[in-house]
Amino acid sequence: MSKRILASLSLAAAMFVGVGSAAADWPEKPIKFVVPYSTGGGFDVYVRAVAPEMEKILGVEVVPENIPGAGGQKGAATVYRSAPDGYTIGIFNVPGLTVPQMLGKKVSYNLEDTTWIGNLAKSTYAIAVKADSPINSLADLCALGRPAKLSDTGPSSTSSVTAKIAMSLIDCPIQNVTGYKGSSQTIIAVMRGEVDATLKPISSLRKYVASGDMKFIVTFENKASLEGVPSSRDLGHDAFEKLTLYRIVGAPPGLPKEIADKLSDALMRAANSPAVQEWSKKTKKPLDPIDGEAATVLMKDLSDFYTKYKSILAN
Amino acid sequence: MGVDVVLQAFLGVLTSGSVMFVFIGVLLGLCFGMIPGLGGTTALALLIPITFSMESLDAMYLAGGVMGATSFGGSITAILLNTPGTAPNAATTFDGYPMAQQGRAGQAIGASATASAMGGLLGLFTLILFIPLAKEIVLLFGPVEFLLLTVLGLVAIAVSSRGKLLRGLIAGGFGLMFAFVGVDTISGATRFTLDTDYLWDGIPLVPTLTGLFAISQMIELALKGGSVVSSNTTIASISGIWQGAAAVFKHWTVMVRGSVIGTIIGAIPGLGGTVASFIAYTSTVQSSRDPSSFGKGNIVGVIAPESANNAKDGGSLVPTVAFGIPGSAETAVFLGILVLHGIEPGPSLLLQNEREIYGLIVALTLSAVGASVIGLLTARWLVRITFVNVNILVPLVVTISLTGVYVLQGKPGDVLLALIMGIFGYLMIRFDYPRLTLVIALVLGETAERSFHQSLLISDQNLVGLIMDRPQAIILVLATLLTLMLPALRKRAKKPT
Repeated sequence: MSKRILASLSLAAAMFVGVGSAAADWPEKPIKFVVPYSTGGGFDVYVRAVAPEMEKILGVEVVPENIPGAGGQKGAATVYRSAPDGYTIGIFNVPGLTVPQMLGKKVSYNLEDTTWIGNLAKSTYAIAVKADSPINSLADLCALGRPAKLSDTGPSSTSSVTAKIAMSLIDCPIQNVTGYKGSSQTIIAVMRGEVDATLKPISSLRKYVASGDMKFIVTFENKASLEGVPSSRDLGHDAFEKLTLYRIVGAPPGLPKEIADKLSDALMRAANSPAVQEWSKKTKKPLDPIDGEAATVLMKDLSDFYTKYKSILAN
Repeated sequence: MGVDVVLQAFLGVLTSGSVMFVFIGVLLGLCFGMIPGLGGTTALALLIPITFSMESLDAMYLAGGVMGATSFGGSITAILLNTPGTAPNAATTFDGYPMAQQGRAGQAIGASATASAMGGLLGLFTLILFIPLAKEIVLLFGPVEFLLLTVLGLVAIAVSSRGKLLRGLIAGGFGLMFAFVGVDTISGATRFTLDTDYLWDGIPLVPTLTGLFAISQMIELALKGGSVVSSNTTIASISGIWQGAAAVFKHWTVMVRGSVIGTIIGAIPGLGGTVASFIAYTSTVQSSRDPSSFGKGNIVGVIAPESANNAKDGGSLVPTVAFGIPGSAETAVFLGILVLHGIEPGPSLLLQNEREIYGLIVALTLSAVGASVIGLLTARWLVRITFVNVNILVPLVVTISLTGVYVLQGKPGDVLLALIMGIFGYLMIRFDYPRLTLVIALVLGETAERSFHQSLLISDQNLVGLIMDRPQAIILVLATLLTLMLPALRKRAKKPT
């Protein structure tokens, strides 16, 4: 028995030493890039756009792996539980993952000690209604004489959380109608007229506005980026601009700083590479590269921000 | 106007070497369709990384080839081994397998091949005709209509379990119970998950189906011994294949009805081929003059579901061309391929990417016909599977189907679930409970519950008022009532004579 313990101890010691030298030699083998949603989704396309560029920079393969399930929590848990050796990283949905953890739901990850590699993009939210709707402004939406109905996928989805916080800030009564499969379905629900409006990233809504089916009434940003559509700052609701969807890249807790820095550097160079920039322009997918250090500060900041609204989100 | 574009697209594929991609897709689709546990979705998911480096039109040809061929491939296993190769083939086992046991497997495959090709063609023809109206069609179906459709499907369960009503209802009840496992999309609560995150997204369909049909059937065969067809049965001559093919045209009304049902249900996201072929089957039994002949090897029982599950491919593209949203699991993966090629699915998908969409339609058409031709030509050899000794057959099918279940998502839990469902399914066979009823309830349960909640929220708890406001909802209510009353009405009509 004692022999076995000794053997495993020495093995552990050997591995420890191994880790030490590994940091200097890293990377030596393919890196797994976990996407917690299915192929073809918003998070997936971002990862598949930067992975080939990271490959060129790091000199090893960067393989996107889709681990969908439980609203992105399964993928996040997979990354969180992996060995902190720099060979497993993943893309995280914030605040989609922040809120369940904050509310004390049983989750198998902890965003507080996850190593942050950098942020790839943030998506600005907007509220849109049917093109021929009598509702023309946020004020109209809140003055229906009944709670405004908003369509969404699930009660803990990022956009649902955003709607709850934003509307409670301006005392606008809403009724979330959830259960739609995917964000396109929530937009079509507005077009069918069964709900009044939907809150979604501008990038998801844009094509339905272009096709003449929908119209924007407000965007959640500090300066209006769409012609003829007021930003939330224009309407005096400054807090709205904090409510943004982040596509942030993380690694298991305890990743050696040396490796984290190399990863962060590779991610930033990939995001700023001409190929990815061109992809971003062509597909109208915004990029907001933020390095690991700044991302860590951002995550702390966001965690504090959402904790303020705990009571609104809890019910 | 759409027709010109289609003809051009046809000429385009036939005059270029790209037709090879369709052919490769067909072969892959047939193989993946035949193997229980694998299916079109798995094939497409595995192909995604390969299509990344292909020209987008060639990727469409490959995807179309796969999609058009899987459901016919799946019918071969359904007929020969009583094990649906893919979920939509489940209803084909009812009469296909008894035919195989009677030595009429050739005839059944001939009928399935022809019905699949005709169903596929009719579905695509309808799609092309209705493309200009696609948007309006999708907007007709809201949560209330979804709810009423699921009620119609559940009613069909009661009607279809002739003489075994109680057993049918019990099996359906189990299906509904299984459907409620997982995170509730309305309240966000997790239900019956046994504290494992494996069950968070509910009980997955593919492992359940593989267990209930493939594994349980293999347990049954292994315990029985011998082979599917006992050696003293007279082997039908090879002419049976063409007889089967001819039967489709003899019973053309069945084929057309199956195709119409398949196209309509295919167009509704979330319901899919399993429900389509099941409703096609039950409606055929109901309108037959001799309902008691079904389940005992009536060829019409093969024609109805097989025409429906190929026609659904055309239908499932309606929401895709209208809004860029998937109508089935396969179209969801197909949209994923488009995204990887930098094409953003959306309301203007058809306008901006006409080439890719029509390329897919052409590939689906060629595939529906091509798969059937291959099927008709190879049926004489395929039939021999029914003579293989179970000692060889059983381990082979179990291994391959469990591998298939694992490959789809790479979760060991799926394999375990398939095994548990296999034992459960075997008990259902032993005690004579209908397995498909359970699967249909499992598929419908989630949609039924979700759309019920949504309808209540939308209508401020006034469901009846919401239905009365919508003519399409009233039609569905009437269809459900008719389905319930038809057997009684027919009985009364018969009496005086």
